[in-house]
Amino acid sequence: MKDSDRKSYLASVTDRFVRGQMDRRAFLRATSKLGLGAAALGMGMGSRPFMLNKALAQEEMQPSAEVMAWLKDVGKPFAGTTLKFATESTPPSNAINSQLKKYFEEATGIKVEIEVLPLEQVLQKMTLDVASSLGTYDLYYIDQSWAASFSQDVFDPREQIKAKADLAMPNYNIDDFLPALVDGISKYQDRWVGVPYDIPIFIMIYRRDIYEKLGLKAPATFEELYTNSATITKEMGPDTFGYAGQMKSGHYALECEWTSMLWGHGGSIFNADKTFVGNDERGIAALDYYTKLKDIMPPGVNQWTWDGQGQAVAQGVAASMLSWGEFFPFFDDPTQTKVSGLCEAVIPPQPISLRKPEECGFGEIPGVGHQGGSSLAVSRYSKNPDAAWLFMQWATCADTQALVTTLGGGTGPTRASVYDDPRVKSHARVGAGTTRHLPVVRETIDKYMGSEPDLPEWAQISSDTIPVALGKYFSGSYGSSKEALDDISTGIAAVLKG
Amino acid sequence: MHQSKLVRTVRTIAGWLVVGAFFFPIYFWTSVAFRDSKDIFNWPPIIFNFQPTMRNFEQVFGISFGFARQDAVAPGGGNFYMAPRLWDSIVVASMSTVLAITVATFASYALSRMNFRGRHQFVNWVLSTRMMPPVAVAIPMFFIFKQFNLLDTYIGVILIHGLMNLPLAVLLLKSFFDDIPAEIDESALLDGASRWTIFRRVVLPMAKGGIAATAVLCFIFSWTEFLFVLTLTQTGLKTVPVVSSTFVTSIGTAWGNMAALGAAAIVPAFFVVLLVQRHLVRGLTMGSLKQ
Repeated sequence: MKDSDRKSYLASVTDRFVRGQMDRRAFLRATSKLGLGAAALGMGMGSRPFMLNKALAQEEMQPSAEVMAWLKDVGKPFAGTTLKFATESTPPSNAINSQLKKYFEEATGIKVEIEVLPLEQVLQKMTLDVASSLGTYDLYYIDQSWAASFSQDVFDPREQIKAKADLAMPNYNIDDFLPALVDGISKYQDRWVGVPYDIPIFIMIYRRDIYEKLGLKAPATFEELYTNSATITKEMGPDTFGYAGQMKSGHYALECEWTSMLWGHGGSIFNADKTFVGNDERGIAALDYYTKLKDIMPPGVNQWTWDGQGQAVAQGVAASMLSWGEFFPFFDDPTQTKVSGLCEAVIPPQPISLRKPEECGFGEIPGVGHQGGSSLAVSRYSKNPDAAWLFMQWATCADTQALVTTLGGGTGPTRASVYDDPRVKSHARVGAGTTRHLPVVRETIDKYMGSEPDLPEWAQISSDTIPVALGKYFSGSYGSSKEALDDISTGIAAVLKG
Repeated sequence: MHQSKLVRTVRTIAGWLVVGAFFFPIYFWTSVAFRDSKDIFNWPPIIFNFQPTMRNFEQVFGISFGFARQDAVAPGGGNFYMAPRLWDSIVVASMSTVLAITVATFASYALSRMNFRGRHQFVNWVLSTRMMPPVAVAIPMFFIFKQFNLLDTYIGVILIHGLMNLPLAVLLLKSFFDDIPAEIDESALLDGASRWTIFRRVVLPMAKGGIAATAVLCFIFSWTEFLFVLTLTQTGLKTVPVVSSTFVTSIGTAWGNMAALGAAAIVPAFFVVLLVQRHLVRGLTMGSLKQ
């Protein structure tokens, strides 16, 4: 039996034992075939699935011996080097920081210091580093909306592979990164601004129990999303509402949800002439729909980012949300939420119509599955670019991504092969760190992904110009949706003009 | 008599209401530290009836309450292990307070007692440094600190917090020294005491209350300062306000962990205030009655 099959089998039988689907005798018999027997019993003694998988993780979730051997060999000249990396607190960064980097450090002798910060502070630190060219950080965490701004400040990984053949990881396989993510997250014009590092993407998450109780089906269209949500709010409000949005005034979250609605109604932010067209008739229809949907959301929704939106579902206040897939494992964690095992993930609602990418400007790709995500790249100003390149390859190789996905709590992998990794699949059950939503994430990436425009001014437009005006609109400062969108158009024109 | 009892009762109730209004946010925040995530955002809110857990404290303070660096955390210690950061805060706040108070005591005594050209302008100049927004200084400071290898070091942060508190400490202490009659100094001078002896043996003991009050303010300002620590540190050290922001993750905010750190962070500051409480009351009321 292959090692991977053995791990998958062990995970499966232990999971069944914990759930009471297998008696102790059968469990011992099954594990004895793996040469574990009674020793495996300890793995199944935890009262919660999470504890089980944590125990199992510590036993079984080890890096590949092949990867470790390569690191040991290639890392020798860099022993004693210290690498610095500032990152947002995301599942991959947290898994690497707290559980995985020790393997890299032990094998190479390279010390890795990871500074975990909120996203806007990462941007501040990186901007300062780039402006000063001081190389205080060796690796950059680049949010997809910053790709254009930092494209000249990092190495293109394809060039690194060619230029440093002796440092290239065998079987790193850069083509394994999902092409849609390379285009949406890591590519600016012809350059790769690092490699895709994580991929939060909008999927539809809904309460299966509530939908079944009211005889509803998972929303497949925007119209169904509204009618289902209105029915739930009518039947179960004010305790439970049909839908929760992420509509905090002036916050990037509001821009994300709005673009999803805009794209879903056949609109786009820019046209091929690079002019804002979010205020055309499709844009107006999208904002009118969003306004209608807001009316059946919980009060106070205009104060919520994705955090408040997620809490609304986790507390049973809302029955559905269109939001980042990486929230799904959180809902399945019985220690964190009251809805463990009650939520389901499906693909986002089908768009009413969809504008083609060639009709849009700045590389914008319309799609309801709004894609976020970030790249990992080596800074051009790093004083240890080779050691940083080793770390980058290790952190984004298929083996590490599989470990990150399982240990990091079911975050979406950016490599195609990781979705089929037995270790990842073995966690597809109800409980903390579930991966049972990943097939939906994969399908959304492949077929329904929407990607924001790439332009250096995008960080300002997406985090300020658009969400501030939308916030004012939802607080009643404009006479109509058209007026608000026209104001956004004027604001964007001013930003682009400089 | 009956009316007086009524007034007393109303006063007592009003007193308790005021105390409650101040105490309730602290209670609620602390109680969040003892809750699982699912018990935090309830509607209607749960005030008392929740299942207490130590999970948040375990994650924030690790397996043992040691002052190991982050890289010494055992596997599974997690990204929310913050005990070393509490220690960083204590070191930075204490040492920067000592630095600011030491320098400010000498400077303010000189400004209070000695006559030299431009004394009043000097006081205004000290005050003007407080008028500049810290963000205007933070980025130039980053370059200066990088040049002198002070980035991400205790000395660097202690220095910047000390400098930040210095103008306020000088102005406050000067007003306390001004309140001590100059005739006392003159009498001591007539008795043959040197300026240093007067300062050390006569004036300083009388200004103890004012120094304590100023020290508390400096400590609290350093304890809660965010911008300079964020800009001038990386992984070597961080203080509580900066690491509190790291509980904001891409998949939500870890409110329970944040509350655990916040609740624990109240304790050292509370003890500092407690230690100097006796002097503090004296210091704060110093000069309230003019001779």
